[in-house]
Amino acid sequence: MKKTLFAAAAVFLWCGSALAEPQTVTLPAADYQAIINQLKALQGRVDALEHEKQSPSGKPATAALPDSKLKKDVDSIYDTLDQVQTKTLKDKINLGAELRTRVDNFHVKDHQYFTTKTPMAPGHQESNDNSWTNRFRLNMDAELLKNLKFTGRLTAYKDFSDSASPNPDVIGDSNSSHLPDGSNVKLDRAYIDWVPEGLSVPLAITFGRHPSSEGPPNEIKENRKRQSTYPSLLFDGEADGVVATLGLERYIGWKDSGLRFAWGKAYQDSDTVNAYLDSPGGLDDTNVFATFFETQLPGVDDSLLVLSALKAKDLAANFTNLFNDQNAKANLGDIDLYGIHLQAMKIMKSNFDAFLSLGLDRTHPNGQTIPSPLGPVGLLDNDGSSSHSGWAVYTGLAYTIPYVPFNNPKVGFEFNYGSEYWFSFTSGSTELYNKLAIRGDVYDLYYIQPFNEYLFARIGYTFAKYSHGLSGFQIGDPGASSEELRNAYMLMDCRF
Amino acid sequence: MKRPYRRLSAGIVLGILAAATTAAADGQAMFLEKCGACHKSGGKASVINPADKAGQVWVNYFARGRHPVDTGIAEADMKQILDFISSHAADSDQPAAAVIPK
Repeated sequence: MKKTLFAAAAVFLWCGSALAEPQTVTLPAADYQAIINQLKALQGRVDALEHEKQSPSGKPATAALPDSKLKKDVDSIYDTLDQVQTKTLKDKINLGAELRTRVDNFHVKDHQYFTTKTPMAPGHQESNDNSWTNRFRLNMDAELLKNLKFTGRLTAYKDFSDSASPNPDVIGDSNSSHLPDGSNVKLDRAYIDWVPEGLSVPLAITFGRHPSSEGPPNEIKENRKRQSTYPSLLFDGEADGVVATLGLERYIGWKDSGLRFAWGKAYQDSDTVNAYLDSPGGLDDTNVFATFFETQLPGVDDSLLVLSALKAKDLAANFTNLFNDQNAKANLGDIDLYGIHLQAMKIMKSNFDAFLSLGLDRTHPNGQTIPSPLGPVGLLDNDGSSSHSGWAVYTGLAYTIPYVPFNNPKVGFEFNYGSEYWFSFTSGSTELYNKLAIRGDVYDLYYIQPFNEYLFARIGYTFAKYSHGLSGFQIGDPGASSEELRNAYMLMDCRF
Repeated sequence: MKRPYRRLSAGIVLGILAAATTAAADGQAMFLEKCGACHKSGGKASVINPADKAGQVWVNYFARGRHPVDTGIAEADMKQILDFISSHAADSDQPAAAVIPK
């Protein structure tokens, strides 16, 4: 190429000279040299361009360089993706956490409860102007297969500055994760949802420690999604068992409709030595059989209707430790529970959430009684043979204030009433007291202030007026009560 | 004299209800209307579920222009849809209850 340029330049100069023979151009030597230098510079530039154009392999270099970089980047991305996918497949469990700090200011008048002491005389008062607790929860889930899913939760719930002391109100397995009890980590729930393949009917089996606490309508007040299978007025506690759920949506067309058959144990007799023997303590197990029909109401988005029927057989009362009496244990009989629960979120596309829950109970005592500080007591009576019925209603309304600068806060009001013989399985209440077990009236007002998608505060005030005593206990004649509870509280809740 | 107060009270309650109804954000309806037009059984595109991806992944997906066709959805509507999708995404708070098979 260099030769070509020089030849061209020579020809050009010659031609220029020849053609302009009559007009000979005479250049100063410096100008001539400048032209030659420019030609050399141009030749150098052409050579450089040609060099860039040719790669060692003979392929065009201008395209080969980006291709090489692209391939390197793609390889790097694939390597990273392999690492991420490997880690994802190895990390079989997704983890989440919750932390709640709560302070209660409560005052109880005419408090009554069972202890080894004589029941408190009318006029006894208890109060605490700042009772602080911390509750930590570790949530777990894993979708092992499309039809096989694990869900679990570990909980540590404690009073401030108190890691060791057992809480005497922790009556057993059903509320061990729902009352402050030192810094021990408890198994709140751990269960498998399995939808067997190849069946002609849509059937699911759920087994393990169930999502049976903080059920509908708790999610409204807790500012979260549904947390339990069962309406809380009838069943709010930790429970082990098996549930078979038949999907009905394909048959009746109602969204999320299903029929559940549940079995669990409210009491399994054991002692510390012979934990696996049948009835080592001399009591029969308490078996709970239940059927639930649930569905979203046709035409009402985000609604829920649950019809419940539950039977607890051989209801056990084992209060040997509480009453400090080895004879204070017996099977007292059976109890039937029935319920209707209805709730709807954002009713008619408004900002109102509302619910109504009704419960009925009926006892079938077997004549047994146990000794207690009040004398012999049986199933919701003292004679051990009288059958009783009770009922309860639980209703509430919440309104999300559409005020974006305040992150759409929510106000809510709840009311529940339980009759003289009202009893259900609600010992796993999220409150420091068992609100839905109360025989009497309860008024509950709250305000929820979200700060962002993870953090919210709730302040609330509860007033409970007991008409009858021994709320939450399945033993003894309730009797009249003048107990009153006033509780103001504030909590901060972070969930992620 | 009682009747005017009753009417006034009823009017206030109805006014609050009407305001609440108007103010209610309905990202779900927007999602079903705009996205569900194509993403449905037998539709032009496959069925999608907000829980298919994490919330931020959905945001990135649209910010990077990865949707294969121009959705033609207005910016304000898209924000409502993304708010709804994010609140139901894979990393959002999920309901917990024994599963009901379809």
